[in-house]
Amino acid sequence: MLIDTAADFDVRDYLRKEMMPHFLCPGCGHGIALRALLWAIHDLGLDKDRLAVVSGIGCAGRLSAYIDANTFHVTHGRPLAYATGLALARPDLHVVVITGDGDCLAIGGNHLIHACRRNLKLTCLMLNNEVYGMTGGQVSPTTSETRLTTTTPLGNQEPHFDACALATAAGAGFVGREVTHHVPKLKELIKAGLEHPGFAFVEVQSDCTEIFGRKNDMGSSSEMIMRQKSEIRPSAYLDTVDTPFRSNALPTGILARNDRPEYGATYRRAAAARKGAS
Amino acid sequence: MRDPVTTVRPDPASPDSPALKADRADDAFNVLIVGVGGQGVIMVSKVLALLAQSQGFEVKQSEVHGMAKRGGSVFSHVRFGKRVWSPTIPKGDVDILVALEWAEGLRWLPFLKAGTGIFICDTKRIVPPFACLNRRPGAPLRYSKETPTEVVTHVGEAYAIDATDMAEKLGNERAANVVLLGALSTALEFSTTDWERTVAEFVPKKTVAVNLEAFRRGRGWIEEARNTTPAVEAPVTRTPTPADAAYRVRLEINPVWCKSCDICVKMCPEHCLRLNADRIAELAEPERCTGCRLCEWLCPDFAIRVHLDSAGAVAQQGLAQ
Repeated sequence: MLIDTAADFDVRDYLRKEMMPHFLCPGCGHGIALRALLWAIHDLGLDKDRLAVVSGIGCAGRLSAYIDANTFHVTHGRPLAYATGLALARPDLHVVVITGDGDCLAIGGNHLIHACRRNLKLTCLMLNNEVYGMTGGQVSPTTSETRLTTTTPLGNQEPHFDACALATAAGAGFVGREVTHHVPKLKELIKAGLEHPGFAFVEVQSDCTEIFGRKNDMGSSSEMIMRQKSEIRPSAYLDTVDTPFRSNALPTGILARNDRPEYGATYRRAAAARKGAS
Repeated sequence: MRDPVTTVRPDPASPDSPALKADRADDAFNVLIVGVGGQGVIMVSKVLALLAQSQGFEVKQSEVHGMAKRGGSVFSHVRFGKRVWSPTIPKGDVDILVALEWAEGLRWLPFLKAGTGIFICDTKRIVPPFACLNRRPGAPLRYSKETPTEVVTHVGEAYAIDATDMAEKLGNERAANVVLLGALSTALEFSTTDWERTVAEFVPKKTVAVNLEAFRRGRGWIEEARNTTPAVEAPVTRTPTPADAAYRVRLEINPVWCKSCDICVKMCPEHCLRLNADRIAELAEPERCTGCRLCEWLCPDFAIRVHLDSAGAVAQQGLAQ
C-alpha cells in the first residue's frame, strides 16, 4: 500500500514552522517534492537528529532551510562535495542532498558524475524544473528544446540533458525519476533511494510556474501538473544509456540499479587494513 | 461486499428437465455465461463448448469481450445440439444462465426461459466505478439491492453460490469460475469423467489440481443443495448509511501558509474546494469531500491537512459540544 502511512504523517512535524510560509512562488512543485521527501523519511522512521540535509544554491537549494533536521546550505553546485565529506566522516548519518537542475548538472556537473562513480551512500534529490528560477529564468541544462527563457528568446536550440541517463552512465547505484503529480509514488521512490546502500540519484520532475510556465504559456500550476501526467511513461526498467535524449515521453520509476561496492565501507576497510599493518 | 449465505430453490430433476433436451430435440440447448472481464467467462464457455463438441454435438459459441477485458460486462453464448443454426440465443430462450457476478446475473435474467430455465449465480459483488458516483464513506452504492432470496423466488430453479469464497478457501480465488462450472455440470448429462478431462486439458498445468477440486466442490454443493429441501434464507443485505462510515473527513486549512495557487481547487476530484474572497482555499462542499488527500499531497505550501476522524471521536465531539 502506497498510502498506508498517510494518516499519521503530518508534514508539519518535520518543518521549521518559524520559517514558514516558505519563499517559493505559488504553485511551485518543489514544495510537493519536499513533502514527498519528508514523508519518505517519516515512513522509514529516520531520527531527525540522524538526518543531514545538504543543499546548494537555487530554489531547490533553499528547501533545506525549512527542514527540521541537521541542514547545510552550501556553495553553488557543491552540495555533493560537502555531502561526500560529511558521509565519509559520519557514516552514522543519513545524508540527503537536495539540488536543482542547474546546481546539479551545470555548476556541479563534475561533482555529480564523480559522486555517481564513487557510489558513496548518499541520496541525491534533483528537483528538475528546467530553468534557473531564482536568478530570473535563464536556460538550464535540462530546459527542453524550443522552450523560451530569458536567455533563449528564440527558443532553446540546445539538446537537453537527461540527468538519469547521465547518472546511470556514471555508475550511480540507484537511479529513479518521478513527477510531483504522483506524490505517493514519488515518496516510495525516494524511500527506495534512501534504503539503497550506495549512491541514489532521484530526479523529480517539478514545475516552475511563475518563471518558466508563464513565459512558455503553460497555464496555471494545476495545468502544469496535469501536463506531467500526459508526458510520463512509467517503466520498471528502460535503457537510458542507449536513448539518452528523451523524446516527449518521460520514463519514470526506478530506471537503473546496481550493487557495486559502497565507497565509504571500502574506504574504511582499506584504512583499517593500513592501520593494522603499521 | 459479498453475501456469505447461499440460497437454494431446488427443483427435483424430472424427465422434462432441460438437461435431457439436448439429446432428444432438434432445438439447440442454450447456455449463457455472463460475468465481469477477468473472471473467466470465456474459459467456462470454451470448456463447455469443447466438451459438447467432443460428445458429437454441433456447437456454436459467440462472445463479447474486447474492451470489457478488465472490469467490463462480458457474456458468452454457447449453443449445442443436433443442429445449431444461429450462434446467439434469443431473449427468453436460455436454458441455463451461469453468472460469475451477482449484478451481471440479474442483468441477463430476462434472457432465461420462463419456468424451466436454471439460474446459477455467484453471489460475488464487483461494484463498477460508476456505481460509486458518491464516493463519500458509507454512501449508498448504485448496485443491485435485491437479495438472493428475493431473486430466486422469481426464478424456477436458482442457485446462488458463494463460489468465490469456496475458491478462496481452496487457495485460489480465480478458480471461482470452475466452481460454477462444476455447478453447471450437474444440470447437463455429460459424464463427470469427461468434464474433468476437459477442465484438466484447458487450465494451466500448475493449476490442474486446484481447478479439479474447485469443480468437484461446485458439483458437490449443488448436489447437496438439491437434497436439502427447505431453502436457506439469506440475510437481507442492508444498504450502508452515512452513519456506518468508519470515519468523518475534516479539512484543516492554514490561511497564513496558503498562497492561492489554485492547485487544490483544480485537482480535487470532487470539486469541493474553492478560493474564498481573500483567495484562500476553503472547503465549499464538505458533504462531497471523500478524504482522498489529493489536496493535502499536492499543496506545495503545506497549508492543507486532511483529518479522518473516527466515528467514535465524532460522537465524543458532539457530546462535548
